[in-house]
Amino acid sequence: MARPKDTKPKPPGIFSLLKPYSGLLSLLILFAIFGNSVNLWLPKIISQGIDDYIRTLITHAHFDINPVIIKFSAAVVVVFVFAYLQSIIQTYTSERVARDLRTRLSDKISRQSAVFIDQVSPSKLLTNLTADVDSIKLFVSQALVSIISSVFIIVAASILLLTINWKLALCVIAIIPIIGGTFAWVLKRVRELFKKSREVIDWLNKVINESILGAAIIRVINSQQLEFDKFLQANTKAKEYGLSILRLFAGLIPVITFTANMAGLSILALGGHFVIMGTMSLGDFAAFNSYLVQLIFPIFVIGFMSNIIAQATASFQRINTVLEMADTSETGTFNEAMRGEIELKNVSVTYGQKPALKDVSFKINAGSKIAIIGPTAAGKSQLLFLLTGLIKPNWGTILFDGHNIEDYNSESFHSQVGFVFQDSIIFNMSIRENIAFSDTVTDESLEKAIDTAELRDFIDGLPQKLNAVVSERGSSLSGGQKQRIMLARALAINPKVLLLDDFTARVDNQTERKILANVQKNYPGLTLISVTQKIASVEHYDQIILLMQGEIIASGKHEELMNTSPEYVQIFDSQQSTSNYELQSK
Amino acid sequence: MNYNLNDLQAKAPKSSTWVSLGKLLKLIKHEQKNLVFALIAILVNSTLNLLGPLIIGDTIDKYIFVQHKDYHGVLVNCCILLAMYLITLLTSYWQTILMGGVGQRMLFTLRNSIFNKLQLLPVGFFNQNKAGDLISRVNNDTDKINQFFSQSLMQFIGSIATMTGAGIFLLAINIKLGSATLVPAAIILLFTLVVSPWVKRKNAKNLTSVGGMSAEIQESLNNFKMIIAFNRRDYFRKRFDSANNQNYGTAISAGLANNIFVPVYGLLSSLAQLIVLAYGIYLISVGEFKIGLLVSYLSYANNFYNPLRQLAALWTNFQVAMAGWDRISLILELETDINTIKAEVTEPSDALLEFRNVYFGYDESKEILHNVSFKLERGKTYALVGPTGGGKTTTASLLARLYDASKGTVFLDGHDIRTYQPVDRTKKIGFILQEPFLFTGTVRENILYGNELYVNHSNEQLEQVINDANLGSLLAIFDKGLDTNVISNSDGISLGQKQLIAFMRAVLRNPELLILDEATANIDTITEKLLSDILNKLPETTTRVIIAHRLNTIENADEIFFVNSGEVIRAGSFDHAMKMLLQGKRSS
Repeated sequence: MARPKDTKPKPPGIFSLLKPYSGLLSLLILFAIFGNSVNLWLPKIISQGIDDYIRTLITHAHFDINPVIIKFSAAVVVVFVFAYLQSIIQTYTSERVARDLRTRLSDKISRQSAVFIDQVSPSKLLTNLTADVDSIKLFVSQALVSIISSVFIIVAASILLLTINWKLALCVIAIIPIIGGTFAWVLKRVRELFKKSREVIDWLNKVINESILGAAIIRVINSQQLEFDKFLQANTKAKEYGLSILRLFAGLIPVITFTANMAGLSILALGGHFVIMGTMSLGDFAAFNSYLVQLIFPIFVIGFMSNIIAQATASFQRINTVLEMADTSETGTFNEAMRGEIELKNVSVTYGQKPALKDVSFKINAGSKIAIIGPTAAGKSQLLFLLTGLIKPNWGTILFDGHNIEDYNSESFHSQVGFVFQDSIIFNMSIRENIAFSDTVTDESLEKAIDTAELRDFIDGLPQKLNAVVSERGSSLSGGQKQRIMLARALAINPKVLLLDDFTARVDNQTERKILANVQKNYPGLTLISVTQKIASVEHYDQIILLMQGEIIASGKHEELMNTSPEYVQIFDSQQSTSNYELQSK
Repeated sequence: MNYNLNDLQAKAPKSSTWVSLGKLLKLIKHEQKNLVFALIAILVNSTLNLLGPLIIGDTIDKYIFVQHKDYHGVLVNCCILLAMYLITLLTSYWQTILMGGVGQRMLFTLRNSIFNKLQLLPVGFFNQNKAGDLISRVNNDTDKINQFFSQSLMQFIGSIATMTGAGIFLLAINIKLGSATLVPAAIILLFTLVVSPWVKRKNAKNLTSVGGMSAEIQESLNNFKMIIAFNRRDYFRKRFDSANNQNYGTAISAGLANNIFVPVYGLLSSLAQLIVLAYGIYLISVGEFKIGLLVSYLSYANNFYNPLRQLAALWTNFQVAMAGWDRISLILELETDINTIKAEVTEPSDALLEFRNVYFGYDESKEILHNVSFKLERGKTYALVGPTGGGKTTTASLLARLYDASKGTVFLDGHDIRTYQPVDRTKKIGFILQEPFLFTGTVRENILYGNELYVNHSNEQLEQVINDANLGSLLAIFDKGLDTNVISNSDGISLGQKQLIAFMRAVLRNPELLILDEATANIDTITEKLLSDILNKLPETTTRVIIAHRLNTIENADEIFFVNSGEVIRAGSFDHAMKMLLQGKRSS
């Protein structure tokens, strides 16, 4: 198969992320290398001090220790200053990389469609924005500099050892590949285990999340034990992986220490031999011991950091798939005022593989009132989602005032179409902000919306009035209050078209009737489309569309439908007895 | 009862690291045996490791840096060293595996106790805290502790052991030189003690802002369709940016605080080396010390200060972990206010359910129910009607004991509802909540959630049970029947469908009292008719409490209660209820 067109360009590596920060990073690396070189000089100063002292012992001269102290102190202060500067730059750089990456991600996410967010799942995006960014931060703040300075130390220390005594140096340097090899072998296994244990942790978190979000039903059913069993299963697995990783490390560390000790042993045996033979000074012998310690630590560091790099790379790939998503194309430029005429031509929508809407066509005149009724899962909400542009039809066209919905500038479009969702979406901010959710809302239209939604008494009853903060998921509000806040939110933008998704479900009849009368009075000329279950409240509407299993079964005025559609009559009958009561009580 | 964690955190007295650590260590009380063995391994290991430099110094002084050099002696000492190193190979393994095992099991216990506590806390706790913040607290903060205990603990213990041993050797070889060498360490200790609380505070602040950011992301992403429909993509960006920048600020100050240890420790440990060299040479010149020992002494100083430098890095992890632990232990310390009581304080009741002089408010400032009394008889159907915000859901929540009355008593089957064990109470009461919640899994798993009666039924058997309960027609709405996949919190399944699952879940449990809180609000009227038929066919002894705005759902009720302004009034008839509904003053 020839598919040169399909092959994606190689995904940018994690280092591409660092380009904008190259100035800071070069400074960082420069400081690190400089600080480390001075650090490597310290054993040398000490060994020289010892040798000089021994020389004076032999020659019985006076030993002046001051030059050694001055040299050493100067070096130590320089190391301190550079280490401190390095840590500051390190913090700034890594946090900036993290913040900028989060901003890029949130920009990208904010331009996506609602369908996209639901498909990718908010919890996954949350992980991208938090855990994944954190692991990249760790890479910048620790791995990058550590690895560069470690390699530098290993190379420099090896060179220093070779210049002191190349034979002994070769013995010591021989431990590097041994330790490195063991490390690589163990880490490869550990990495697999890490990946699996990460999956288990995700599983654990899912159980925790559902137990928090479903707290009420768990208490009603008293299924705490069940949730705990689920959790225990995941937690036990997590413990098992933790212990497996532990076993690998428990084996690794002694082997490495042993190898390093062997190097120390050869320094004693061989070095001792050289000192006895007089081919090596005692100071150099001491320096060898010091450098051995300095040499081993960086090998450890590289091993652990390679792990961080692997994790960061994986995180970056996940983030990158989000960053490289195509934006929702904003092609529309049409931004004239809408009259509110709507037409659907042969619209079909599939959800997964299941068709949600099949070949739906209808026309709605500006300023008219339309009801959509139908059984559960008939596709009513999908129809409303289509009309708000939240989802796009797989086939067919949607016209507002004769213009394709796609041609509208989305800002202009959304400021003229108000939507009251079925589920209550209340943000954790003040009631004012919740209602004046769009920033185009004036005080006047806010007040009008509050009055129309019959929220005035409720808000006046709150100690802080409009500035009262409602809690997340609106748990301090009743279902009807939430619905009316949602309605006020939609009305506050002064829409030309108002879409209600089962608005009446949680509002009592009396309030509902008042609200609808208010809407008619305060928002004349508004096109109203209401998905509902109650025929009584929509009997006088201009058109009623009966939707079943994604198809329009019938449409027309109430009286027409009563004569032509048996399905409609069936629904009507199911509500009949009570509807009479409602009519009587008018 | 105040369950708001952020509020409690602000009020909590600042505890020291050691107090928090003490609380944490309580979790491993039963591990004494392992800890003792680990301690032995650590002691042997460190002693042997530290004897190494001593033998090397001894070799130099006895065989190398003397007039009569003796290479044979050098080799003998090398063999001794080799034997020692072989032993440490084993002890080091044991030390890690034992200590690490304790750490892993402690983490396991810790996670279990947090989750267990979450299960014990009442609904009020979850309503007073943001879900996003709670999730971040439980996940991220445990993860911080996790990182410390699974990765740093062993290093931590090893470092401390080596350090202590090296310190002892330094002092034992030469007390004067030893004390001088340890002076920088004292300064380090002092510095750490002074700086640590500040570092911990910075980290705690950062964790708080991380929690806030997660909550922000969660809220916005879960409601993304709203953001699009109101054209407020900028809202998401703005809110996120401010959380992001706030997090950036706290993260930098936490980072700067965390990074202060490494350079300072480095500076002081180099200073120690200088002291060894200068003072050591002085001591040799006055004849109190030997040159070979100076070489081992330098090693010991290294052995003391290198782990100390590692401890600097680990100490930061430790502080971060402790900050996380503090936030978590706040949850662990909470106690549920829904307890089972023993004695009956009041007169028993003859009804299935009775409210006797019940008062209730979610917080003290606002009373929702005011001196409410009513009785529910076995086998009857009751409807609760009233304007929104009138207190219907609150009344129902008290019926199911999601909350306790602040004054007065609720009776279930003759006894104070608080005297029932949760198992017995929940078996009697079925409650279909206003906002249905589904767990990720299949329709089958959700219908059988918490129901052990049918767990081992095959799909066919279960379908039979469902048909017998007249629920069969409801199942047909799901394209793959019992095996239809469900993802929690997803738009892939409609609200009406969720309500159907919640309905089947509750009915299959055969409760004596079934409460429906607008449980069918988003279901079409034909299906709803079906549901009401199912309700009618429930066993005769089943009592039903229905909250609904749709009047047809309550028309068959035997009795209607009108709930408004803190009162629950019995309506004489359906018409009477209608009249009250139409004329009744609204509280909201």
